[in-house]
Amino acid sequence: MSLDFSVLLRFQEALALGLWTTVKLTLICIVLGCSLGFLVGLARTAPNAIVRGIASVYVEFFRGTPVLIQLFWIFFCLPLILGIELSNLASGVIALTLYMGAITSETFRASLKSVGREQMDACIALGLPRRVQVMNVILPLAVLRAVPTLLSNCVSLFKESALVSAVGMADLMFVGQNISNNTARPVEVLTVVALIYFAIAFPLTRAVTLVEGRILKKLAI
Amino acid sequence: MTSASAPLVAIRALHKSYGPHIQVLKGLDIEMKPGERVVVIGPSGGGKSTLLRVMMGLEKIDSGAVTFGGKPYISSAGPDAKTVIDTEVRRSIGMVFQHYTLFPHLSVIQNLVLAPCKVRGEKKASAMRRAQALLERFGLGAKANAFPAQLSGGQKQRVAIARALMLDPKLMLFDEVTSALDPELVAEVEQVILQLANQNMPMMIVTHDMWFARNIASRVIFCAGGVVVEDGPPEQVLGAPREERTREFIDRVFHIKQ
Repeated sequence: MSLDFSVLLRFQEALALGLWTTVKLTLICIVLGCSLGFLVGLARTAPNAIVRGIASVYVEFFRGTPVLIQLFWIFFCLPLILGIELSNLASGVIALTLYMGAITSETFRASLKSVGREQMDACIALGLPRRVQVMNVILPLAVLRAVPTLLSNCVSLFKESALVSAVGMADLMFVGQNISNNTARPVEVLTVVALIYFAIAFPLTRAVTLVEGRILKKLAI
Repeated sequence: MTSASAPLVAIRALHKSYGPHIQVLKGLDIEMKPGERVVVIGPSGGGKSTLLRVMMGLEKIDSGAVTFGGKPYISSAGPDAKTVIDTEVRRSIGMVFQHYTLFPHLSVIQNLVLAPCKVRGEKKASAMRRAQALLERFGLGAKANAFPAQLSGGQKQRVAIARALMLDPKLMLFDEVTSALDPELVAEVEQVILQLANQNMPMMIVTHDMWFARNIASRVIFCAGGVVVEDGPPEQVLGAPREERTREFIDRVFHIKQ
């Protein structure tokens, strides 16, 4: 078997477009999913049992089912139930945001727990209203403490996003598969696609570990 | 309540327990006049810290009532009733804790201005000016932009005191504020509290440091087993206690010290 990576040169633009879709989808779902995850994490510590219950059911359901079936369900079933057409991107965003929300809510739940009673005492002693407690103390502390785990959640999402190719969304994976089928050069094409994913995911984990070590050390949190 | 003898704080029949079996406060009655500096001493588990936490509105109570400046502040009709805390009144009380409890993600000056800006709507520039002046006064002018993790324990505790003072409290509560400090850092914190005492700031202090107690107190309360055992001027309670239990405690403490 002879390898010829030059076939890929013709598809640079297609791969770049696919990568852009992957990155765009990932970034949107990181922002939305982390926000959702924080709120759900907060809800899971809420005094109200009903709020806690709803949050747990959501998290357990999304953690306990394959992402692929979640994607399929939102692509094919949700439009039927709602009676509206959803664009590929919209469906992908909804599905991966819900998945990301469930995963990061667990991360936030742990970090929220670590914002101890003493910090809460200080908030009360200073008369901070609940909104200020959450926005200025609990949220930043929980986020800073969650950074390492959140980061690996984000890298996972970046990789999991390849699943949207299964429902016809033209992301990096989808483009790669197409090129592979058209050129009958799966080894070259799929290897390069894998390397592109790796080239983005790997430095990301490294870089943030570095930054995180510095920030967290400075703040001792 | 403008009469000089009207109490600043009146605690009536205060009961507090943790769970069904641990009764910490068993009917506490304390009156505190404006300008008084009350030091609460007593054995561990005697309810001293719990008393301060209740005063700060951090704890539910079983029954009893606390008034502040003549206004109802905390009350509860019984163990199953809700503890009612007037949060407006609570804002006139400041507290400093044993473990500093500074916000680690905020710089020193941000720690100081957070509450004035967010609670009282003070302009940032004005709060920053006041904060900087307060830090200078406590010998921390150069530390305004440091983060808590970069400070010594004594510095942290002085920042915590400054942070509480930013809200112009009418009463300060100090809960074992030097207990977590290395011995050589205790004095700098006690100096700051003595400075406040000289300005007639009413305060309630829980401490194990008898030298400090003697130097700062206008009145000492010996608390044990959830009740007030002895209450009087420092010369009496620390020097010549009338109650047997107080004497035993004082003897033990000073025996260890010498």
